Amino acid sequence: MKIVVCAKLAPDASDIEVRSDGSISLERAEWRIGSFDLQAIEAAVRLRDAHGGSVTALSVGPQRINHSKLRKDLLSRGPDELVLVAEDALNGADTAVTAQVLAAAVRKIGAVDLVLTGEGSADLYFQQVGLQLGELLAVPVFNAVSKIEVSDSQVRIERSLEEETEVLELPLPAVLAVTTDIHTPRLPNMKEILLAAKKPVYEWSLADLGLENTPEPRVEAVSLRAPRPVERKRILIEGSPEEAAQSLAGYLVKEGVV
Amino acid sequence: MADDKDVWVFSEKPALQAELIAGAQQLTSHTGGQVMAVVLGARSQAEQALEQGSQRVLWLGELPSGRLVEDIVPTLAASVQDKRPFGVIIGATIRGRAVAGRLAARLGVAALADVLEFQWDDSALLARHMVFGGGAVRIDRPLAGPVIATTGQGIFEAGALQARPKGEIEPLSWVEPPWQAAVIERRSRAVSSVNLSAAKRVVCPGRGVARQEDLGLIEELAQALSAEMACTRPLAEGLGWLPRERYIGISGAMIKPDLYLGVGVSGQAQHTIGMSESRVVVAINKDRAAPLMTQSDYAVEGDLYQVVPALIRALKARKAK
Repeated sequence: MKIVVCAKLAPDASDIEVRSDGSISLERAEWRIGSFDLQAIEAAVRLRDAHGGSVTALSVGPQRINHSKLRKDLLSRGPDELVLVAEDALNGADTAVTAQVLAAAVRKIGAVDLVLTGEGSADLYFQQVGLQLGELLAVPVFNAVSKIEVSDSQVRIERSLEEETEVLELPLPAVLAVTTDIHTPRLPNMKEILLAAKKPVYEWSLADLGLENTPEPRVEAVSLRAPRPVERKRILIEGSPEEAAQSLAGYLVKEGVV
Repeated sequence: MADDKDVWVFSEKPALQAELIAGAQQLTSHTGGQVMAVVLGARSQAEQALEQGSQRVLWLGELPSGRLVEDIVPTLAASVQDKRPFGVIIGATIRGRAVAGRLAARLGVAALADVLEFQWDDSALLARHMVFGGGAVRIDRPLAGPVIATTGQGIFEAGALQARPKGEIEPLSWVEPPWQAAVIERRSRAVSSVNLSAAKRVVCPGRGVARQEDLGLIEELAQALSAEMACTRPLAEGLGWLPRERYIGISGAMIKPDLYLGVGVSGQAQHTIGMSESRVVVAINKDRAAPLMTQSDYAVEGDLYQVVPALIRALKARKAK
């Protein structure tokens, strides 16, 4: 079974710096594997361990994703090999561009049975790319997948919807976006970290994928700013639990909310 | 019907559909087109869309058995290509997100996800949404049409129902999907469905609550306040103490109640994005430096296991007066 797992390498949201004018700097942010993609990697590796085959990790983005630390981090989590499409033309790529480049890379990898993605990227969390990817590949695609069972050329999945769990059976190949609770991602051990350095990394250009021109963007980001903080009264209530409770109850009455 | 002016809405949830219609009206007031709902369901649901303010309805009839809502994608794509609306706003449920992403790919555009507000810059549409886990606001401009956007519950306010709506219900026929998933089973997970965005008061426990059985105490507080119980994402998804539809924040519920009371909630941006527009925000936390404590109207510093019982007593005593 040949599995591709897509992961976004992106600046860590917790490293955002807000400038005094409300603009945002990501210059000092550390780049990481998307926190929701770790579960997809874990699911891919477990399926390979159970059914045999291989896991190819796939990431597309600007040149800075081609960094030894990120490569090692991805591969130490269990994938057998890594494909990177790292070109600055892909900096800030929209979901349509990203999905097109991923689709071209999955086609080039070839004979793929299953593509897994995370629920959404850690930075933008639009939860769109996996779905667009499946549609571009013209194969069954589902989101919110919380369980995957593979048998022959079929896959049985559970989807955790808002109010129900849905069990579906679909033919392979398929693209599945997994939930954050499908598995707890492993922490790489020393052996896997050492092994990671020996695993193959393929660096493909857009031209290698047959994309002579970067796909045209469909959405332009016009501004990125810190949210305007809502003015709050910021009244700190201290004292014994009884005093604090009485004081708060009084405020709630005054506010007209009780 | 003019090209590129109408705005369509689609949601499998009638309540969300009403809100999307209100959002679509904001767009058609600029484009000059009509609001049209695409309805998958009984004829009564198509009529309901007209009552909700849709000027026309594209009606697909009831979902054939064994089919999924998501199977609407090829039908929607074909209709959009044929009728050329300005855009389609889709309810940001899990199924709605799947429909939006797939539809966008078919139409060669990028869907605008979880739009919080539409704005106009002259004739260009702008969409505001949160990124970086609520840490930043991004404004996007679609460069190509049709505009495909998703919007969650509680973003647009549904208008009043119209008593005798005059709209046309136009039948739409299914386009066969190229592949089909077999539905093996559906299990209901929620004991009762909850509409958090309609609640006036919301009590929200966070990770400061140590054990699942302690939620009884928080529920008692919610009852004393006639409030709805919500929670933070880890309580619903990691721990599974409460159903998913009760968590507030990114990919969860977006609420604007009169009162939000967070108990043992640290206040990560991923959570506060969903409640920052509450009228009165109260936090109870033993750590006065917790982010939510500094973003509250009333921040009670103390052990929730002592403060909450005292607060329940105080509220009951006031009620008894």
